[in-house]
Amino acid sequence: MENNIVTSDRDVVIDVINVKKKFKSYQDKASTFKERFIRPSRGKHEDVMVLKGISFQVRRGEALGIIGKNGCGKSTTLKLLTRILYPNEGEIRIKGRVSSLIELGAGFHPDMTGRENIYINASIFGITRKEIDERLNDIIRFSELEDFIDNPVRTYSSGMYMRLAFAVAINVNADVLLIDEILAVGDTAFQKKCFEKLEDIKEKGTTIVIVSHSMDQMYRICDRMIWIEDGFIEEEGIPKVVGEEYLAAMEGKRLERKQEEKRQREEGGKTDSEEQDGYLKKLPTFCWEGATQNGNGKIRLTDGYVLDAEGKKTSCISMRKKFEVVYHYESDLIGIKLAFVISFTKDNGIYCFGAGSISNSDRENVFLAERNGTVKVSFKENNLQDGIYFIDIGIHGVDGTLFHYIYGALKIEVKGDKENEQVGIVNMPRRWESKGQIISQEY
Amino acid sequence: MVQKLKEIYAYRDMIDGLVRRELRGRYKGSVLGFLWTYINPLIQVVIYSAVFSVVFKVRIEKFYLYLIIGMMPWTFFTTSVQGGAVCIRAQSEMIKKIYFPREVIPIAHVTSAFINMLFSFIIVFLAVLVSGFGMRLEAMIYLPLIMLEEYLFALGIAFIVSAVTVYFRDMEQIIGLLMMAWIYATPIMYTIDYVPEKYRFLSLLNPMTSIVEIYHQILYYRMIPAAGYLVRAGISVIIVFIAGVFVFEKLNRNFAEEM
Repeated sequence: MENNIVTSDRDVVIDVINVKKKFKSYQDKASTFKERFIRPSRGKHEDVMVLKGISFQVRRGEALGIIGKNGCGKSTTLKLLTRILYPNEGEIRIKGRVSSLIELGAGFHPDMTGRENIYINASIFGITRKEIDERLNDIIRFSELEDFIDNPVRTYSSGMYMRLAFAVAINVNADVLLIDEILAVGDTAFQKKCFEKLEDIKEKGTTIVIVSHSMDQMYRICDRMIWIEDGFIEEEGIPKVVGEEYLAAMEGKRLERKQEEKRQREEGGKTDSEEQDGYLKKLPTFCWEGATQNGNGKIRLTDGYVLDAEGKKTSCISMRKKFEVVYHYESDLIGIKLAFVISFTKDNGIYCFGAGSISNSDRENVFLAERNGTVKVSFKENNLQDGIYFIDIGIHGVDGTLFHYIYGALKIEVKGDKENEQVGIVNMPRRWESKGQIISQEY
Repeated sequence: MVQKLKEIYAYRDMIDGLVRRELRGRYKGSVLGFLWTYINPLIQVVIYSAVFSVVFKVRIEKFYLYLIIGMMPWTFFTTSVQGGAVCIRAQSEMIKKIYFPREVIPIAHVTSAFINMLFSFIIVFLAVLVSGFGMRLEAMIYLPLIMLEEYLFALGIAFIVSAVTVYFRDMEQIIGLLMMAWIYATPIMYTIDYVPEKYRFLSLLNPMTSIVEIYHQILYYRMIPAAGYLVRAGISVIIVFIAGVFVFEKLNRNFAEEM
């Protein structure tokens, strides 16, 4: 079994190996005899794959954050780690005692005192009375419930309840601590204390896995972040980087949805008068099929394309070569001042570059609208690295009026014959120097 | 396996807590409280001895003693199994929310029923005293052994029925019917001599026959339990317990999803 070199690493505390998890989605669950045998069709279910094969490792003293939109499988992952659920395929190995802040206070008995509940709550983490005796004072002090600890828990406010539960879960000397969206407990002061405690136990070697929607909390605690999307790990790495990418993607999707809604609204309720007003109806045919648009439509983009260095229409441009983007438009307004804009976004949602035709130094040098116009923007050099990019193109008035803007209007591929070792989004021409020896790379 | 045992041992305080809660909770709020532990089987004994010695004229010496000795272990067994069928479902909230070795629940349930039986043995000993039968020390040393065997047997069955009921709720009702029949298949209200010779082997296939008979042999017949009964009881206990552990191990992984 131990054929994987990394798994033999003593420092790996959590090892998740190609885990798949499916849930049965019952239309109508049959669980009694009659239902199962008399109407077998009722028990029919569809399997829903929630996790489609994820692998990751967490080391001793490391804090891992898991992000993703609702239903992506992040809470399922946490439940698998706690062993409330088990994977259909794959394996999860965890070393040591696991404590979880998933369902704080599950198993609290309202009629018993806070003190009694500390023992009961600890017992469901597999901790004996003796072990708790040693830590009882720490727990009570941490919960700040000294004056109430011998009152029944049912008399507690929800904040007090949470404080007690958190104090127990965090003081059980676990090797692994799993946290789900609960750092919103208590007031700010208590939250701060929780964070300090988390940092403290992390330093002492406790491994932490957190699921949360609060990026700020995650950035603060986590050393590494995993973004789960549709049951796969979409991205893994530095929290700030993964987090920003995730947020950008979510924002992009939100805009897309908004555009879609708007388009459907407009398509649904179009009238002749609206058409005469020049309202945007369908996406122009030149666009990439996933494009979305916005604007009042008084000026409309009718065509757009990319020309390569030889002046031929293309969807594929080379690194370090010149290229041009051409806009065609028709306008109901003639002679007004226009601003043309363009931007590039990588297929993973990273916004690479954006520019407008208005220059800050000479605000009088602007294009004026014609009935049928053409604008060409030439790029001296393509500094993007290879990959798939989307180009947004748009027309504004100089006063900011949005006439027509198309998100992801053109899809292009950048191909590079890479002579050198380089990664990232942009290509920065460079020269290396040492003792008079020079390595020049496109410099 | 060793790991599992270690883990369950680490959770001994949880088992302890659950047992206490069950013992305290069962008759909580009732006027007679814990006395019901004694009243229930006693009333049963009164009814059965009335029916069987007055109406059916069963000729068994000190029939009430015979009945009591069989009835207490039977009550333990039937409580373990019938309550065992629903014990996992009853804790569904905890199972859906937190991890702990799920074995803890049936263990706690059977243990609390077992402790009830230990208390009810006060009545058994009182009945022995009243009857003037006396006790035989060489036989009495087998009593803890048969109690342990019955505990493991009941636990094995509780493992199976508690896990199966999660997936198949009718199990609870089926168990009710089964236990109703099972008490008549066990020599509690009659002695094994009443069973016609040619059907006796059938009666002996029932593990509870061996178990209850050993109680009778120790306390009623005041003899060292017969080797045949000890062997049959031992083998069935081992088989049922191992089967229970395996079935539970197989089924417990999906508890959270099925509830």
